[in-house]
Formats: sequence, C-alpha cells, structure tokens
Amino acid sequence: MSLPLRLDYGFFLLMVAGIIIFTVAASPSSWYLYPPLLVLLGIVLHVTRTSKNRVFYIICSGQPLVIASAAMLVWAGLYIVWMLAGIVLATLGMLGSDRDWQSYTAFCGATLVIAAGIDASNHVLLPLVVIGGLTSLFAVVQTIREYQFRKRYTGANP
Amino acid sequence: MRLRRCAQGISLLVILLLVWALILDSMAILLAGSTLLFALAALALSFDSHFRRTVASVITKRTLERTMVRKGATVRVTTKIAVQVPAHMQVKIAENLPSGIVIQDGETETVFEAVPAAPPQRQERKVTYRVTPVVHGSMHVSGVSLTARDLFFENSIDLVSEPFGGPVLFVQPRGLFEPSSQRVTSETREIEKMSVLSGFGIRALREYYTGDDLRRIDWKLTAKHDKLFVREYSGVMSLPPLIIVDLPWRGGPHSAQDFDRMVAAVAGMAEYSVKMFQYVSVLLISGPNILQYMGEEKDLQRCMSMLREWMHPVERTVHFYRMSDRSDLRRQIRTLESRSEEARDPSTQKFHDSLKKQYLRSMQALQTPAFTAQLIRTLSPLMADECYVFSLFMADASHLRQVIRQAKAMKIRVHIRMPGTTGSSGGTDYQSRLGADTIEAFA
Repeated sequence: MSLPLRLDYGFFLLMVAGIIIFTVAASPSSWYLYPPLLVLLGIVLHVTRTSKNRVFYIICSGQPLVIASAAMLVWAGLYIVWMLAGIVLATLGMLGSDRDWQSYTAFCGATLVIAAGIDASNHVLLPLVVIGGLTSLFAVVQTIREYQFRKRYTGANP
Repeated sequence: MRLRRCAQGISLLVILLLVWALILDSMAILLAGSTLLFALAALALSFDSHFRRTVASVITKRTLERTMVRKGATVRVTTKIAVQVPAHMQVKIAENLPSGIVIQDGETETVFEAVPAAPPQRQERKVTYRVTPVVHGSMHVSGVSLTARDLFFENSIDLVSEPFGGPVLFVQPRGLFEPSSQRVTSETREIEKMSVLSGFGIRALREYYTGDDLRRIDWKLTAKHDKLFVREYSGVMSLPPLIIVDLPWRGGPHSAQDFDRMVAAVAGMAEYSVKMFQYVSVLLISGPNILQYMGEEKDLQRCMSMLREWMHPVERTVHFYRMSDRSDLRRQIRTLESRSEEARDPSTQKFHDSLKKQYLRSMQALQTPAFTAQLIRTLSPLMADECYVFSLFMADASHLRQVIRQAKAMKIRVHIRMPGTTGSSGGTDYQSRLGADTIEAFA
C-alpha cells in the first residue's frame, strides 16, 4: 500500500476518533447524524480509490459532516475541516515533504483564525461581507500580479 | 488562470454554501463555505507560485537547418527545451510559429510530466519538425507557448521575449515562371517519339483503355469475355525505372486507404528496383512543386527512410489549375481551325476566329513554368527507359501532363499508377488525355 493511501485512511480514522470524542463531550441532540455521514465519507473514500476526480467527491461528501459537526460546536467543525484537508492533501500526494507539512500547518492556523472570527460573530452577514471583501481584494491583487508577470515575458517594455 | 472542472465544482459548492449560510443565518454552513473558499484560494496561490517558477525555468535553443531558403523549400527546425516541472503539474510547451510557414511533419509541442514522489527536476526535450515557408520575407519564430495545469487550475503564457524567439529565417522569393532570358528546352516541339522496345514475354493482360495500341489487343481473350483486352509486354529493361511520386495536397481531400496503397506500391517498386538494378531514382513532387530528388540511391534503407520522411500529404506553395502549355494551345488552335472550316454559320466562324486569336495571344505571352524547367533539369542527366508515376489523381492533373510530356520528350516510357477507378476521381480516359504509355491501379 502506498504512503498517500495510508495517510488518507489515517486522517479518516483520526476524524472518526475526533467525532466520537466531541460527541461524548458535547452530547448533542443530533448525535445520530454523525455515523451515517461518516459511513458515507468512508464509502466515498473506498469507492473512488481510482477515480480521477476523487478529491471533488471527498470534498462533497465531507461537507455535510463539517456542517453537522460545526452545528454541534464550531471547533468540532474546524477539526473535521483539518482532517478533511489532510485526506485531500494525502490523496493528492501533497504531504510528502516537510515543506508540505508546513503548508498544511499554515492552512490549519489560518482556518483557526477564520473559525475564531465566526465563533465571535453573532450573525452571518458581517463575516460574509468580510469574506467577500477579502476575496475581491485577492482577485484584484492577483490580476495585477498576473499582468506584471505577463508583461515581463511577452516582450513588452518594463 | 482558468479553473478546471474540479475547481469549478468546488467554486459552485462554495457559492451554494455561502448563499445557504446567508439565507439560514447558519454559522456552521458559513464555516464550511469559508474554509473551502480559503482552501481554494490557497491552492490558487500555490499553483500561481509554481507556474511562475516554471516559466522562469524555461530555456529554449532553436536551430534551423538553413537560415536562408527559397520559398517552398523545406527546412528542418530543432528546438531544445528545458524546464523544471513542479510536482503534480503537467507542462506543455509548443512552438509559436509565424504565419506564412506551414508544418510539413514532426511535432511542434512537447508535454512534460512531473516525476512522482521526487523533487522538481529540470527536464530536457528536443522537438524536431520540418517547415515550408509559403511566402517570402523574414520569418521570425516568436517564441514558445507554455501551458501548465494541475488538478484544479490551468494557465498559459506566450513567451515571446528575446531569449525564447529566433533565429530569423530569410525566405527568398521564387517565381512561378522561368525568366525569359534563360533558355529552357521545353515542350515546344511536337515530335514523333521513338518508343522503347518491348520484349516478347507477356507481363499482364488487362482491360483496354482508350488510346491503347490496337496491335496489342488479345483477340482470343476479347472474344471469350466479349470485352477488349490488351497484352502488356515485359519491356526490354536494362536501366532502372524512375519513380515519380505525386504526393497529395494537405488542403484537399484524399482517400487514406488509397494513399496507404500508394505508399506500399512505391515502397515495393523501390525495393524491386534496388534488388534488380542495384539502385533506384525517386522524384517526389506535390502538384507543380518538386520536393525531393534521390538519384541513383544504392542503399535501400536510406531510400526507405526518405520515403518514410516524405510519404504524407504535404503543403503546396504553387498550384496549377488547368494549365495549358504551348502544345495544348496549338492543339486547340488546330481544332478550332478545322471546326471553323466545317462551320457554315458565319457567327460560329466568327466565334471560332475570335477564340483562335485569344489562344494565339495567350501563346505569345506564354512562359515556361518554373516547375517544367526544374523537371527538365532533373530528368536531363537521368538514365532511364521507363518511369512510373504514382498519383492519387485527386485534383487537377496539369502538372502530371507536364511530367509525362517532358519524360516522353526524353524518350522515357511513362507508366501511370493510380487508385482503382471505383471510389476515386480517376477515370479510364486519363491515359489518352495525359499521354501515358500504360495506366494501372495500385496492386
């Protein structure tokens, strides 16, 4: 068995363990949702082993679990996001080097900040406006960078 | 940067989650949507960074076989491309060729795949292709086009700055006609040509075509089948035949099956010639364009490799369309004269006279096509009794008339090999129209 396959199943097992711990600790009324959603993700993981678009199927089947866990506790949802990201990166073979693990850690740190912001908010609108603004800023900066980059290689005067 | 199918799906999912979060005012859905959006943005940044590094690592070195050629000549171009391919990415690099150049064969692009589970390594490839300039002037290969993709994103850039372009190919013009100052012995005289002696052995029996010698009719077979059959005698051959291959134009339709048959027939004939006569001469033309001439080649492998290199539909820089030469016009004038004498109606006579004047005027202005002159220069030093012309006959056959006429002028028997009449545009009256000695379908 190759290393990425072991890693993705490892992350899945960690996800299962995390769900059990959070469920026991928080005793949510919607506890019955987690087993079928975990089974669904497990089936998708197993069935799409050789599929070209495996990542997309994993993300789609993982999102209901993220939402259900975040409905119980935002931090539980965040934990599921981390594990799901681990599964996806392992599937893509992007957890092979120390640098890859550093990137993964950075992603976890950044999502921790996002989760903290969401946890601190009372309503969706304000964080959504912030997300929309940041996304627009990102798009603008990327467009300018792309323009400058292309200018350099397409023979235009600097 | 373009989103690929997987990223498009994730983007749609993000939008749905955020809209749903807004409608339901659900923090849980917002967390799912926002983290997914952040992940997508992080992947985009990572791809962009890898893309920039890839572009910065590209090195190209292009060499031309010749830097100064005539229009219609074929030049081999070799480009060495080196690039560092990041993990999980596929990089495609293609040559940006200027307009006015057509690719005859070869590959103008190459795909680099990342080596799995290995640090990014510099990979090097060589692309080789042959081009034919169809217009004159300076041709400058502007650079390369790079396209990189991973599972989520795709981006491409035209690298046309100085390190990626060049060298310049200078293309000299080539006239359609020979300069009048240059004397070319062409088809201006119609003479009774002495035919090559035929042997006594019968090589084959075939159906009669218009223009066949009546003395060759096999009466017994004709009576048996109630159809005219002629004998084909084996020639008294002491010299190897010249093989002329008329390659189809790339822009026109042709039957791939017929073309394959023609390739096989040409290869068989070349092999036979080398085995029987120790050498073979092959002239490759495409319409009125001489592509390659291999004279008295003794090495069968070299001959085959040349055929492998050339036997495909090619681009033509010059086209003939119902191009009449002097003898055609003379024949037309003679026909008009005889019809004019026969005609009783004054208006018909007037029409014939007027047409005759036009033909005479055309004849005065007629120049020798460059193709004819090249053909004469190629055939003159050749020692051959027979020549086999292989063609698909898919379009105008003016150039073949020129070939046959020049060969006949040099007392070379011409045998045409064409696809079977079924399903092709060829016809049984080609022989009489073209003036070939025999005409047969590919074996």
